[in-house]
Amino acid sequence: MQQVITLTVNGEEHSLAVKPNQTLRDVLRNDLGLTGTKRGCDVGACGACTVILDGEPVASCLLLAVLCHGKSVETIEGLEKNGKLHPVQKAFINHGAIQCGFCTPGMIVGAKALVDRNPDPSDDEIKEALGGNLCRCTGYTKIMEAIRNWKRYVDTDEPPVHDYDLDKHETVGRSMPRVDAYDKATGKAKYIEDYGFQNMLVGKILTSTIPHGIIKKIDTSQAEKLPGVAAVITGKDVPDRMYGVSPARYDEFVLAKDKVRYIGDEVAAVAAVDLETAEKALELIKVTYKQLPAVFNPADAVKNGAPQLHERYKNNINTRVNHHFGNVEQGFLEADHIREEVFVGNHVYQSPMEPHGAIAYWEGDGTLVLYSSTQVPHYLHYMMANVLDIPLGSIRIIRPTVGGGFGGKAETTPLDLCATILSKKTGRPVKMMYTRKEMFQHGRGRHKQYMKMKIGVKNDGQITAFDYTNYLDGGAYSSFGVITAYYAGSMLPTSYRFPNYKYDGYRVMTNKPACGAMRGHGVPQPRFALECLLNMLAEDIGVDPFEIRKINGMDPDTRTINDLDIRSCEFKATIDAVRKASGWDEKYGKLPPGKGIGLGTGGFVSGAGYAIYRGQVQQASQKPREHTFIKKAVFPHANAVVKVTEDGTAAVLFIGAAEIGQGSSTVLTQCCAEGLGIHPSRVRIRAEDSDISPIDLGAYSSRVTLMGGNASMRAGKDVLEKLLPIAAEMLNTVTGELEAKSGRIYVKSDPEKYADWAECARIYFNNNGPLVGTGWYKPPEGLGGDYKGAAVGTSPAYSFGSSVCELSVDLETGKVDIQKFTDYHDCGTPINPMAVHGQVEGAIVMGAGETIMEDVVYNSRGEIVNPNLHEYLIMTIKDAPEIFSGLVDSYEPEGPYGAKEIGEGSSLPVLGAVAHAIKNATGIWFTELPITPEKILKALKKKKAAVKE
Amino acid sequence: MGLTLPEIEIHEPENLKEACALLKKLGRNARILAGGTDLIVDLKEKRAKVSHLVSLAEIVDIDRIKKDGKALSIGAGATANRIAANSMVARFLPALVDACNSMASYHIRNLATIGGNIASAVPSADLPPILIVADAKVELQGPRGKRKVKLENFFKGPRRTDMKPGEVLTRIIIPAQPKKSGSSYHKFALRNATALAVAGVAARVEMEKGLIKKAAIALGAVAPTPKLAKRAAAALRKKKPSRELFEKAAAIAVRESKPISDIRGSAEYRRDIVEVLTRRALEDAVARARGKKRK
Ligand SMILES: Cc1cc2nc3c(=O)[nH]c(=O)nc-3n(C[C@H](O)[C@H](O)[C@H](O)COP(=O)(O)OP(=O)(O)OC[C@H]3O[C@@H](n4cnc5c(N)ncnc54)[C@H](O)[C@@H]3O)c2cc1C
Ligand code: FES
Ligand code: FES
Repeated sequence: MQQVITLTVNGEEHSLAVKPNQTLRDVLRNDLGLTGTKRGCDVGACGACTVILDGEPVASCLLLAVLCHGKSVETIEGLEKNGKLHPVQKAFINHGAIQCGFCTPGMIVGAKALVDRNPDPSDDEIKEALGGNLCRCTGYTKIMEAIRNWKRYVDTDEPPVHDYDLDKHETVGRSMPRVDAYDKATGKAKYIEDYGFQNMLVGKILTSTIPHGIIKKIDTSQAEKLPGVAAVITGKDVPDRMYGVSPARYDEFVLAKDKVRYIGDEVAAVAAVDLETAEKALELIKVTYKQLPAVFNPADAVKNGAPQLHERYKNNINTRVNHHFGNVEQGFLEADHIREEVFVGNHVYQSPMEPHGAIAYWEGDGTLVLYSSTQVPHYLHYMMANVLDIPLGSIRIIRPTVGGGFGGKAETTPLDLCATILSKKTGRPVKMMYTRKEMFQHGRGRHKQYMKMKIGVKNDGQITAFDYTNYLDGGAYSSFGVITAYYAGSMLPTSYRFPNYKYDGYRVMTNKPACGAMRGHGVPQPRFALECLLNMLAEDIGVDPFEIRKINGMDPDTRTINDLDIRSCEFKATIDAVRKASGWDEKYGKLPPGKGIGLGTGGFVSGAGYAIYRGQVQQASQKPREHTFIKKAVFPHANAVVKVTEDGTAAVLFIGAAEIGQGSSTVLTQCCAEGLGIHPSRVRIRAEDSDISPIDLGAYSSRVTLMGGNASMRAGKDVLEKLLPIAAEMLNTVTGELEAKSGRIYVKSDPEKYADWAECARIYFNNNGPLVGTGWYKPPEGLGGDYKGAAVGTSPAYSFGSSVCELSVDLETGKVDIQKFTDYHDCGTPINPMAVHGQVEGAIVMGAGETIMEDVVYNSRGEIVNPNLHEYLIMTIKDAPEIFSGLVDSYEPEGPYGAKEIGEGSSLPVLGAVAHAIKNATGIWFTELPITPEKILKALKKKKAAVKE
Repeated sequence: MGLTLPEIEIHEPENLKEACALLKKLGRNARILAGGTDLIVDLKEKRAKVSHLVSLAEIVDIDRIKKDGKALSIGAGATANRIAANSMVARFLPALVDACNSMASYHIRNLATIGGNIASAVPSADLPPILIVADAKVELQGPRGKRKVKLENFFKGPRRTDMKPGEVLTRIIIPAQPKKSGSSYHKFALRNATALAVAGVAARVEMEKGLIKKAAIALGAVAPTPKLAKRAAAALRKKKPSRELFEKAAAIAVRESKPISDIRGSAEYRRDIVEVLTRRALEDAVARARGKKRK
């Protein structure tokens, strides 16, 4: 039964027929098309749906629309008036307060309401007002900065000149606002959920309610009869091919064929006219299981007689890595001091603010069109071709604006696959979205790792040997896990020289959602452990924690013990810089009880040296080949085309690089503009559509700036090469004398003599037809050693960083207040310093939360207890520390304009720095993550009791 | 897309009489809807099942905050933010402002009502402890008239109250606070915003000639219902405030708590927290009673 209500939205009165169970959010989005109001959680816990109702911000997902009758609503779309942005919007754009942009509308609306009632808010007032608006990307630092400065934008559009800008170039090295910032600040950016097509169906997946069992029977007959249901599929309707990430370990069926292995494993899917009908249909599907015993942790899973998840993984060991470089036995004999410790990580989930989604439809010529919120459009493309056994050429992948990934969107999802199959079956577009709980159940978060580490050092702190065993809790499927298990070992020797190094890694299957790749892929927990261990040893032997790192620290142009080629490396400079900037020497050892300061460092790849699948870009009809190590990069990992408009006034950069919030579209635009010699405002990027843009492998392993940047720069230069002869003729000189900048092609020795770039381009078109340039990047061939697994960890370049954390601990409750972070990074020469700092700030807050509060908790049945944003705790703006992010001078010859990565490496130093600071504040080392108040208090009480005895 | 709500019918009675009659008629199929920050979540997550919602939004004065003789009357429909911003409340019972501000987040507090916070009877709710130590009563309007219940007697278990079918919680009546008294609320949560209490402790002390004349301590999130720690309060009578005294009372309060272990904390940890919060709440309450600003 519908009711008619009047609602004034952004000043316009609407008369709307709504159902009583529709929320205000859904009416705004679906009935009025105001999709700037986002769905992040459905239950008031994220703030993405914030709108202003009669002057006050509210969570529109909890409000019934019928009860808003007669009220006035302001949404993000209403903030721009007469073509002029609200000053808060301008501030967000100019201060880099936007990354993926998914939290942005709610955040800006909340901030607008705040400055309306209080034009000069204090920091505490800003934090109080936005405590319910979660942001996973920015670490809140630049959001605070934007709101503090909002008044500056009341009458101006001038972006600020950032003091961290480099003035070497006009385009690269400049903190220009993001190319997508305007769309994101106004609610115009379209994410997957904001798309819809005519005649579209809604799909939904039925998942297993038991952790382990055999499917005996599925009865879908009742569901099929339900009016409005268009299709129901089960394991028998999906291909016999399995899918996954690493070709050697494809082990997932689109829908379970015989067995379910965790609560959440996909069993059946439906497509129906609307969500309600789809949900009802799921309830009508009857599944009969034969329950099997289940196992939930690696220690039990590897025991003889433990329940086996997959035939092929004996003792549930999915991946086994045994690396031994040098001779650790000998190394320990040479050591003056040895320390051995056990560390346990936590199960962390990426929690991007945007839920995963997919929309599929088939065109008349048999082309599959798939919209997906993915960070790896090409691997998705490849996997769809593989599973469906059709050529890559018959598939078009479209990646709309993506609201964060952090690794959680780095693989093909059941939504992609089921939407495609259901669409084929029904002949209609099918849209599927995850709820927050389904995201947690789909999993692919960080592996919980159980690490035993032993280290030997000389009296002066020089490392002689390192021996490390790691059990990774993998969950029920392989996902990225093979690579995770290798990374967990290969990424420690990046920043320190280990003369002897042994790593035994075991990724173990358990009846829980599969774990995958998350920011820092496999490394943050081992890094946490190693950094703690080094700090422990430094204490044991009375060596300064900075000194022990410098003694063992990596130098440029070094081949590591595991055959990684380190080129540019300013690791030691980052150590010195954080020491100074944090005021370490005035603080360490001089703080009162309950206050602490700590140090952590890290090093990471700047792009994986090898693609996930080997060989050439494949025709899908080729069966995936046996895993054979081909020590060649083989095909270009990043590819760009630049097309100049016929009048010469703009250039369009085509590259399939996945912008997921990290800022790749902006950085690539800058690289391309610099190569072209024109201002970046004249370059547009088209990265969304595989029909339009050539392959880039995607947003993983921190590869896009280096690889995509090179491709974009080269494509730009390729165009310029074509213009130089024209300019040379106009200027009566030779091409070698020319350079281009700011839309002028000028004589190097006499810059006042120049030709207009656009004019040259126009002439080129009139004489030669389309002005197009191409560029690509292939990692250097032959990277890495010759041992099994040597490829994982290879990279064209490595980034380094050091962080100092300052915090206080409430010694009565154990609560940690992380107050300040000082970070210095070697990311090469930054393309966009503001974007770099934004990545660091986001990584620090994510990493700090990971250290003290984040944990996916399971009950005894393997069911997640906290699959929501209210109980899975990510830091709010009230929890985030103040952050200083600095950069050391560095130049990476392999990178575009000297740049390398920042996105993932910046998370590595964080965990160890927090743990060290907690030790400093409490006198106690904590070796199990997360370091919760409860654990701290328990340990403090134990210590007190021991002192009394 | 996302979570859906079941098919429901919404009723918007314009007065209490109509509301009570409706509720009586619909029985178990209906629930009162206030801000919806608890109920809509439960409906979406399929923890609650009803087909009728009776909204109180159209009822005149249901959200009114006013003086009632010497007492303060807060309408059940007043939101946490409105209460926190009300200058009468700030003078009358400043600790209630603290409790309101400790809840959820700003945009939730614009919806969340005091009536919903009480009537939902969730053990971790932030407003009951301070209201209990302030001797508040709730007024219940049923089909056959009004009654008042002391808030400490209102809760019967987790999500269970003294309300009878057809009754509506209309307002909360806070009597004039004794002279030279001070109150406080201390909440401990695992995150600084949008986090439910691991434990919450409210305290009120009345001072006389430098001694504590009378005290009340209420505990939240550490028993099936918000709970008065009567023995702890008794231990403070006629005593001179001191850290030792508060520690002694806190230790007794711990014994009066009956926490469970859940995702927010083990029973043991909650006891530790109750001890700390009780002492801190007492210290603050005394400071307020003495007219000192809190630190
Ligand atoms: C993200 C989030 C965070 C939260 N954090 C906190 C927190 O930190 N602390 C806290 O205490 N709570 C918290 N809550 C819970 C909730 O917001 C509060 O309990 C709120 O006060 C409930 O009020 P409401 O008006 O929204 O109630 P509703 O959801 O409308 O109703 C709640 C219950 O009370 C009944 N009810 C409501 N009004 C009356 C009435 N007048 N008479 C009889 N019965 C009535 C309803 O039938 C229902 O059973 C949180 C909720 C969310 C979504
Ligand atoms: S969608 Fe409303 S708060 Fe998350
Ligand atoms: S920018 Fe805030 S969630 Fe991505």
